[in-house]
Amino acid sequence: MNITFNNRDPVYLQVVRYFKEEIAVGNLEAGQEIPSRRELAGMLKINPNTAQKAYKEMEEQGLITTERNFPSKITTDERVLSSVREELLLEAVNAFVEAVRPIKVPLDELLKKVSENYSEQENV
Amino acid sequence: MIEVKGLVKKFGRRKVLDGVSFSANKGEITCLIGINGVGKTTTLKAIMGLTPYQGGTILVDEAPVIKDTYEKITFIPDAAIMPPSMTIKEAFEFMDDFYNNWNPGRAAELLEFFKLTPEMRISELSKGNTAKINLLLGLAIDVDYILMDEPFSGIDIFSREQIANVFTSHLIEDRGVLITTHEINDIEHLIDRVVLLDNGRVLKEFSTEEMRSSEGKSVVDVMREVYMG
Repeated sequence: MNITFNNRDPVYLQVVRYFKEEIAVGNLEAGQEIPSRRELAGMLKINPNTAQKAYKEMEEQGLITTERNFPSKITTDERVLSSVREELLLEAVNAFVEAVRPIKVPLDELLKKVSENYSEQENV
Repeated sequence: MIEVKGLVKKFGRRKVLDGVSFSANKGEITCLIGINGVGKTTTLKAIMGLTPYQGGTILVDEAPVIKDTYEKITFIPDAAIMPPSMTIKEAFEFMDDFYNNWNPGRAAELLEFFKLTPEMRISELSKGNTAKINLLLGLAIDVDYILMDEPFSGIDIFSREQIANVFTSHLIEDRGVLITTHEINDIEHLIDRVVLLDNGRVLKEFSTEEMRSSEGKSVVDVMREVYMG
């Protein structure tokens, strides 16, 4: 487990985002146990209060579930899990569209470029 | 909670602290930052009753500081504390005799954490290892608050990392930590609160995560604004 943090976004949100990415790519699976808050703080070298806040946020978003005296687990709620992938994808597309819009490329040309680039990168 | 209110300290006619107020909570790491010579160490010493002050009040858990208060606080200075001829084992025995609340189990755990051995002699320790032993001796006393003066200053990067790892571990537990530093880079993600000191005054006091959330600023960003104008 390794995150390169930036210093300007709240650390707890960066931790939540990291968990979402791990869920989206399948490194964290439904029902999988996750480290305790204290373990996470040690692994990521962050303040334990921040780890606590990240877990609280993930509980509120339904990403993880915690039963008393048991380790927290990734949710088994398929709707939540698939919405994570959707959310990350939408976010990335939004950022891309925002970056590319000022260049004023016709949409079909843009899509062609995206398609070419996407398959090129897959072949690397 | 440690509360410092309107602290005034003069050396001769020079006011080193001119109404310093801030607080440090239990379960949090508070960082007292300032360019050298702005009174960081003096503030810690005042809390510990190691230097007289001319004005202001200091409260610990809402009560004025008395002799028994120091059962709740340890101070870890940045210089070697133990006689150089002692081995680490002898230093531990000394601490055990001297402090009722010395915790041998935690001392042993910290020794292993830092990869040091009891046979090592204080005089033979590198600067980095001296800093670790100072930290260890302070942390192995069961207290609610720990004050550390420049724990990261003048030591190698790996020792700094190891010391930083202590802050994220169970070895700190839910204690309140107040540290002074002039370098923030290693510990920006580890600290809860920041108190920026200059010219004997507190220029700004804030929570690091709140600052990132509300203004999108890192601690260094805020320091640049405050100190460089």
